[in-house]
Amino acid sequence: MNWRNILALMHVERKSGRLLRGVKLTRYRESGFFAYWPYWVGLAFGVGAGLLAGLIYSKTILTEADVMLLFREGTVSIFLTLPTLVLVYNLVFTMLQQIQRSGIKASSQVPYWLPVTWEEYTLASILANLLGFPLASIIFIVSTIMTFSAFSSQLLFASITSFAVLGAAFMASALTEILRILQVRFIGAVYKTSGRAAVWVRFFGSLFFFLAFYIIYLYVTSGGAITFIQTIKSTQTTAWFIPFVWLGMMLYSFTSGLLIQGSVFLVLSILFLAGLFFLAALLNKQFGLYEPPAIKISRGAYVPRTGFLGKLGFTATEAALIRKDLRAFTRRRELMSVFIIPIVLILVQVMQSTGSTMATPSAQVFVYLAASTFLLPSTVTAISLGNFMIGEEGQAIWRIYASPISAKTLVKSKYFFIIFFSVIVLAITGALAFIVYNPSLRATIVAYIEALFLICALGAISLSNGIKGADFTEIPRPRMIRLSWSLINLGICLMASVAILAPFFPFALSAMLPETVPNLTLEAFLNPLLALAISAIIAVILTGIFYQIAIRNARDLLTKTEI
Amino acid sequence: MLTANSAVAVELKGVVKRYHELVAVNKLNLSINVGEIFGLLGPNGSGKSTTLKMMLGLVKPDEGSITVLGKDVQKDAVAVKQQVGYVPESPRLYEFLTGIEYLDFIGDIYGISTEEKKNRITEYLRALQLEGREGDMISSYSEGMKQKIALISAFLHRPRLLILDEPLNALDPRSARIVKEVLHKLKTQGVTTIMSTHVLEIAQAICDRIGIMYQGKLLALGNMNELRQMAKLPDSGLEDIFLNLTGSADLKAVVEELLK
Repeated sequence: MNWRNILALMHVERKSGRLLRGVKLTRYRESGFFAYWPYWVGLAFGVGAGLLAGLIYSKTILTEADVMLLFREGTVSIFLTLPTLVLVYNLVFTMLQQIQRSGIKASSQVPYWLPVTWEEYTLASILANLLGFPLASIIFIVSTIMTFSAFSSQLLFASITSFAVLGAAFMASALTEILRILQVRFIGAVYKTSGRAAVWVRFFGSLFFFLAFYIIYLYVTSGGAITFIQTIKSTQTTAWFIPFVWLGMMLYSFTSGLLIQGSVFLVLSILFLAGLFFLAALLNKQFGLYEPPAIKISRGAYVPRTGFLGKLGFTATEAALIRKDLRAFTRRRELMSVFIIPIVLILVQVMQSTGSTMATPSAQVFVYLAASTFLLPSTVTAISLGNFMIGEEGQAIWRIYASPISAKTLVKSKYFFIIFFSVIVLAITGALAFIVYNPSLRATIVAYIEALFLICALGAISLSNGIKGADFTEIPRPRMIRLSWSLINLGICLMASVAILAPFFPFALSAMLPETVPNLTLEAFLNPLLALAISAIIAVILTGIFYQIAIRNARDLLTKTEI
Repeated sequence: MLTANSAVAVELKGVVKRYHELVAVNKLNLSINVGEIFGLLGPNGSGKSTTLKMMLGLVKPDEGSITVLGKDVQKDAVAVKQQVGYVPESPRLYEFLTGIEYLDFIGDIYGISTEEKKNRITEYLRALQLEGREGDMISSYSEGMKQKIALISAFLHRPRLLILDEPLNALDPRSARIVKEVLHKLKTQGVTTIMSTHVLEIAQAICDRIGIMYQGKLLALGNMNELRQMAKLPDSGLEDIFLNLTGSADLKAVVEELLK
């Protein structure tokens, strides 16, 4: 195993994030400090959190002995669950990263053309999966427990926990690598057998994959952090035979004074880690260069269609752009997450309300439900689509620049797409909410109309920011929008939502606190229709302003951005 | 309206483009006539691609002016692009579309009528031997097939000016021959072609005039005879002229140094 090769491959992966829009990389210089900023931040926050917890602990020792004991027991519980906790979270993040990368056909099979072994390539890939947020979070956890242990005299225990945490992260990443290889091979086989239906098999297959993944994730995490930790603690002792909890079991055994058992679990964990790594290397060797077969979508004579969009009054150029985007969102796996978000939001809702009697919700509950089922899925869809609509063009953006497409045409087609899909989401989630929660007709109509206002305004806001902050980087994963603009957009959308919904806040308060703000008193001076009208005016103004900003930003994009 | 009868298709006056301290194009003056096949040659990094991109407004010059088909490309970008067909050096296509869907998209963008679009797409697909694969996703195409799709998308709307950056890259000999024939045919119809290439035989065979760029400057400009005179190599081919003008003639010493 040549460690220099592994480091070199990892460096390539890390540096792949340099390809930012508009940055000319002539005489590129990198600041060693800023290149690793997520890790420095993780370290700083970790040490800070550890210091804080340590100071509280020290103060507690001096005053309350009972509380101190509880504190110490709680700490041990957390330490014991950390490996499994890190395993679950890293699995989630590394899987998500793989999903985002799946649309990119990057020829990075270096073992075929460089003197690099499959083992080196696989190890570098596993470690590189952890770069970014996963590694920053691990640094945060490790620095927190190490700093805290200096106060609580648990340095040895904290050190072993830290190693276990690193092992768990590696385990998660290795598992992701194995699943990725198998997935590519399996999907290829499915495409081959499904022929022309392959594109839809892939679409629904991906939706199913996302949903299954989120359901498991939500099931595990829906009870909150403490329940999660308690679940892990109890699960890992009863499910000791599952290799993924052996690191946790090792810690448990050592803290319980079972040194031989702890050593056995330590050896087993090391063997399992090695096993995962060699399995990943073997699979890479076996299937590494496997290319899924071509997906054939149409056959026979070519028949161009004018289509339904033309009848709606769209020009041929606008309709072509809309059709192209529709195909992008149904065929590019990394964009399908947009369809998942509303489903997941509904799922969260359903999973949280499982067990409670929701057939006739109280007024307080209805306000919450209205927000989460009527307003949230469709507006989140509008925000996501608005953010991604321009950046999703990726490196093929030259096609837009080189074509006779005006800023108005570009914005009109992209905006229509956002509204069209968000309204479909609203129709479905609204109908679902109506059937499940059975609100009054008046409340349903108001919720639908308010959601429409939000979709129009937030869609325009997000599109304008999505154009301004567009990031066409595709490797290692499509970025679509720069993080800074995504955050700015979120802030503006939040403020706009508050402004649009503000006329209804008194009614919401009245529903939440009927004793304090009775509805009858309220309606004496604020009619719901008047509130709706005020809300409409605010939404129209915001939509108009940001639509114009979007056109201006698109004009800048088409004239100032260079490729 | 674009000035249809103007004799000059593209005119660059004192064009400068800088990337930080690097001067990619340095005070370039160039005039390309209507109906001409113009070859832009030069070593890697000499500023050819940047020049071609500036002609279409994809890169903004820091100094100077560019007129394309009688219009300022910066002021009237959409009108100019409507009349131009462009193939970039490494065309990134929408890989999630099939070949036919991509060409259909291009046809709609340029406002080609439905019947016309169908006829042209079918003809080009047949000519470049893409029939049978047009329904496959572009992601499964070879580089040569992608290049063919990029070329068809440049020809499809019958542009008055073609800007082609390494157009014959990755093409099989038959398709390369067809593209060369198409360019000759289009020339007779008054279509101007500006192309960059590293294959000097192609440039010598099909270009009316050739410009040789080096370090952002236009070193030489003219037809083959004029270039021979400039290089003082009366009976030489373009390769010798090119190497002589770009100061790379003493290759023997370089090779010997490498193999030491």
